[in-house]
Amino acid sequence: MSKMVTLSIDGRSVTVPENTLVVDAAKMNGIDIPVFCYHPKMKPVGMCRMCLVEIGRPMIDRATNQPVLEDNGSPKIQFSPKLETSCTTPVSEGMVVLTRNDKVEAARKEIIEFILTSHPLDCPICDKGGECPLQNLTMRFGSKEGRFLFDEKMHLAKHVPLGELIWLDRERCIQCARCVRFQHDVVDDPVLDFHNRGRSLEIMTFSEPGFGSYFSGNTTDICPVGALTTADFRFGARPWEMKPAASLCAQCPVGCNLEYTVRREAKSGGATVIKRALPRQNESVNEIWICDKGRFGYHYTQDPARLGQPLVRRDGELVPVTFEEALKIIAEKAAHQPFQILAGGKLSTEDLAALRGLAQESGGKAWLHTYMSGGFTPHYGLSADANLGALGQGDAVLVAASDLHEEAPIWWLRVKQAAERGAALIVMNPRPTRLKKYARHVIRYAYGEESLAVAAMAEENLALAGEEIRAAAETLKSARNLVIFYGSEGLGLTGSKGLEQALADLLERGGFTGRENSGLIGVWHAPNLQAGFELGLPPAEGLADLPAGGVLYLAAADPAGDDPRQAAYFSGREFVIVQDLFLTESAKLADVVLPVLAYTEREGTFVSGERRLQRYYPALAARPGLKADFALTALIAKSLGYELEGRAASLALEKLAASQPAFEGLNYLKLAEVHEQWPQVGGSDLYYGGTSYANRQGLGKHLSRAAKPEPDAAPLREGIRDVPKNALRLVPHTRLYDAGSTFAPSRLLDQRRARRQLRIHPRSAEPLGLQQGSQALIELEGAPFTAEIVLDETIPGGTALYPRSLGVPMNAPFHAVVKPVFDKSAS
Amino acid sequence: MLTGLWQTLKSVFEKPVTISYPEEKRPVRPRFRGRHVLTRYENGLEKCIGCALCAAACPADAIFVEASENTDEQRYSPGERYASTYEINMLRCIYCGFCEDACPTEAIVLGDNYELSFTDRHQAIYTKDILLVPVPEGGKPTPQSVEPGKYDRAVPEMKDPAD
Amino acid sequence: MNTILNDYADEVQAILARYPQDQKRSAVMPLIHLVQARDGYVTKQAMTEIAEIVGISVTDVASVVGFYTLYHEEKGGRYHLQVCTDLPCALRGADEFLAKLCENIGIKVGETTPDGVITIEEVTCLAGCHHAPMFQVQGDGAITYHENQSVDSALEIIAELRRKAAAQEAE
Repeated sequence: MSKMVTLSIDGRSVTVPENTLVVDAAKMNGIDIPVFCYHPKMKPVGMCRMCLVEIGRPMIDRATNQPVLEDNGSPKIQFSPKLETSCTTPVSEGMVVLTRNDKVEAARKEIIEFILTSHPLDCPICDKGGECPLQNLTMRFGSKEGRFLFDEKMHLAKHVPLGELIWLDRERCIQCARCVRFQHDVVDDPVLDFHNRGRSLEIMTFSEPGFGSYFSGNTTDICPVGALTTADFRFGARPWEMKPAASLCAQCPVGCNLEYTVRREAKSGGATVIKRALPRQNESVNEIWICDKGRFGYHYTQDPARLGQPLVRRDGELVPVTFEEALKIIAEKAAHQPFQILAGGKLSTEDLAALRGLAQESGGKAWLHTYMSGGFTPHYGLSADANLGALGQGDAVLVAASDLHEEAPIWWLRVKQAAERGAALIVMNPRPTRLKKYARHVIRYAYGEESLAVAAMAEENLALAGEEIRAAAETLKSARNLVIFYGSEGLGLTGSKGLEQALADLLERGGFTGRENSGLIGVWHAPNLQAGFELGLPPAEGLADLPAGGVLYLAAADPAGDDPRQAAYFSGREFVIVQDLFLTESAKLADVVLPVLAYTEREGTFVSGERRLQRYYPALAARPGLKADFALTALIAKSLGYELEGRAASLALEKLAASQPAFEGLNYLKLAEVHEQWPQVGGSDLYYGGTSYANRQGLGKHLSRAAKPEPDAAPLREGIRDVPKNALRLVPHTRLYDAGSTFAPSRLLDQRRARRQLRIHPRSAEPLGLQQGSQALIELEGAPFTAEIVLDETIPGGTALYPRSLGVPMNAPFHAVVKPVFDKSAS
Repeated sequence: MLTGLWQTLKSVFEKPVTISYPEEKRPVRPRFRGRHVLTRYENGLEKCIGCALCAAACPADAIFVEASENTDEQRYSPGERYASTYEINMLRCIYCGFCEDACPTEAIVLGDNYELSFTDRHQAIYTKDILLVPVPEGGKPTPQSVEPGKYDRAVPEMKDPAD
Repeated sequence: MNTILNDYADEVQAILARYPQDQKRSAVMPLIHLVQARDGYVTKQAMTEIAEIVGISVTDVASVVGFYTLYHEEKGGRYHLQVCTDLPCALRGADEFLAKLCENIGIKVGETTPDGVITIEEVTCLAGCHHAPMFQVQGDGAITYHENQSVDSALEIIAELRRKAAAQEAE
């Protein structure tokens, strides 16, 4: 516990921890001191002078070193001759702060007038108008008239693209440097900076592409004026016209809390649509930040290509029918058949539970469509009040086989911050990633030897291990907590299983299981895979793992889209049902295609990778006729004579909580609980958190620890079979901006989307005749494809990296012959 | 009774107060609040910048505005923003004139026209093409292609609001 | 391909040696001087190369170049004539001086004379307020101060600079 300091603010005695800034001390006690440049998430700079207050300190007699006392015995207070910036002044014992006297009010008035000297009268057309700190503070503290001449205002460029995502209006900028500081200090992506000085000061970027940062959208939130706006929302609507709805991000397993703001839109034919996504504060998940994928990735939910009506196959063609007809056909064809179900990680917890229920009732089995293994996470994962934000000195974080910056940017940020607070970061990856900079130990291994490297660290006998592994093991010995992130770089399901077990073993041997802030976190490729593992669904990379025969039921899974060779597994089935948002490749092969509601149109829960069960609320009204996945599954079950909970998501969760120990005691009301968070954001004092929303709809709850799983006796390493001669080992890695079906419709990011590239070391490329930028043909049996060659000296020899979800029909490592494609027109 | 008859007789020779509307129409008062019009600048650019303050001010929620971005090749109004959709539901409108007060560019003006009639609800929704005044003489219709940098300011320099 | 490392391998090492290993970014200013001496101004390519050498982002290098008036991002004249027009100088007539000077040589602030010899720039504080109007001439790797100037005396200096440029050209 840090020392407490008592001071007086506006006559009120307040006690706050030592080193608290005066501005925060006031805020914690309900006194607003206006600020522009100060932001509680960043170091103060005192640039805007808006937070000036009068500060007095007890007078000390220099001779005796004793406080000087007034006649009545109280200490004599000496006020500084000038006002002080409350954002740069830490509190001290006996301090007296005045925030509301005439002197302070006059100073505020003048600072506002000064800031407004060249601020344009843009409020009617400014996107920030209505939620603008400058506007609010001007109304509250500003003068009614300016003494400067309107004609003499400086006119600057109003339409400067910092990149294709963020636009700068130079006139509106008040040079508070919040965006610059955010990029430098918070996310360490120093792509914004000031150029020139004085009145000519401007924000600029020299990065390629412009403002190239995965966190760029956050600068528009914290900008205290309308200088930075997103291309996505620019002039979309006025803030007061939109209705906010609490939701979650469905792009990755971090589970960032979002707020969608929606409005009826004439351009969409009068439909209500999501206009923008803003972060919702959850200090133990995403604080007040979200990545650009989450901010701009919601477009798929309102893509025109979404299915609106069930389709059934008649004479080889899929024709639209009503739900009644579709269900009738299912009841006829699927009666008394076992359901083999493949479920995607984008489904809600309730959906997955319903699918599992249907499989059990019908005598089939439900599988989780994933190339990652996670069966150990329900036991070894985080639980109770775990919080990545609490990791620091004495704790350790291990990131294995994951480029967190690409796979889950907010986790990257959380790990970076933990390392900065003093946690020992161990990074295990065959190639350098962005986390390397913050790592205490970097462990390199060859692709395919992940679990061996981890096992070496866990072994008592370290003599044979490399120096780094020994050093890391030494660090782990003294660590209080250990949080492990494991990703899927270079791994398919088998390798993932091996790595997961090795890591669980490491936790077990180190005695970390059961500690408050320790556990195993899977960096999944979907938002809710964790729930699937919690429900005990076995993972399946594709349809090959599912038993033949019976009814095949795919929900939010598109194996044929991922790999066209999977189509072969459709033909042997009696009956195939596909339930999805879009007419996917798998849906095209189905007998019945059932459309469903997007997650933004319904209620549900996701379990984040940290095992936090969180609720999302409907942002939009349900599309007429459509149902949520779990309700549809329940209808199918009902038509076959089975009983499943399909009335409401909350009831489905209650039913699950009654049968699944990890969910025990959880319900929708519990998940909606909130408590006060620091910093306070989203109030009328927008200046504190920017446009991030306060969390009034629930912070979520951790699942409790599940029973210990049995280790798998199956081989733990990727088997190497039938390696063709001269073949390269191709290993997968994940890129943030991919072409997955739930992200591709966000056209705004097209320019930044990763391309289908093969990253390869120049030495491995040379003998194959592959050159930088040239096209190569990869002879994958049954599904050859081409990719652009990128020479990269960080890639281990003999291997090449290919990106997932960008048209390569594989998700696991494989061997293939890579040949240059000769341009016929050139020769 | 005689007084009563005298009144009647007197009225016979007075000018009648009724007029034969609609053949004959009485001029409205200067501050009359009739149907809205969206005005234009002399060069034909629309005054409306799509700020939706009229919609915010409207107590009857009769106005719907949706904005889009201007370019110098396709310019509707000065500044960066224009109203791509502008609708007033005349059945809802209570002709209070708050929209006129809220408008930063004096784009929306309550005109003289009080003869509104509809046969169904959809007709009562007046769209932008109905509300916009014709292009003044010498002006060009919108969207205009203009020289870059000329129309950067959305809100024109305001004269003294008193005049 | 890093042209700075190529052209000035020894100089770069000498500059880097002046700073502690973990404070490499301190070398950014001498390195900018180095490329400016070579090219006359700092190209984006050069900024990228400097960023690579000291391990900071291009934007950070550009910010340093943008902040200091001694660095130029555009190819200007051979001599940069930089007039301070901050408040104390302006009170002593520096802004009028600048306007008249520009009028006399027929270019605007920030422009270069057609012969490519003089670029006139308006800069902030040169620490010579008490002798304003004043300016500095930056060129040929040196900076000279000229204080207590009038338009005539400035024109003389410009004429002198032109002679100097012509003489060097002839060589």
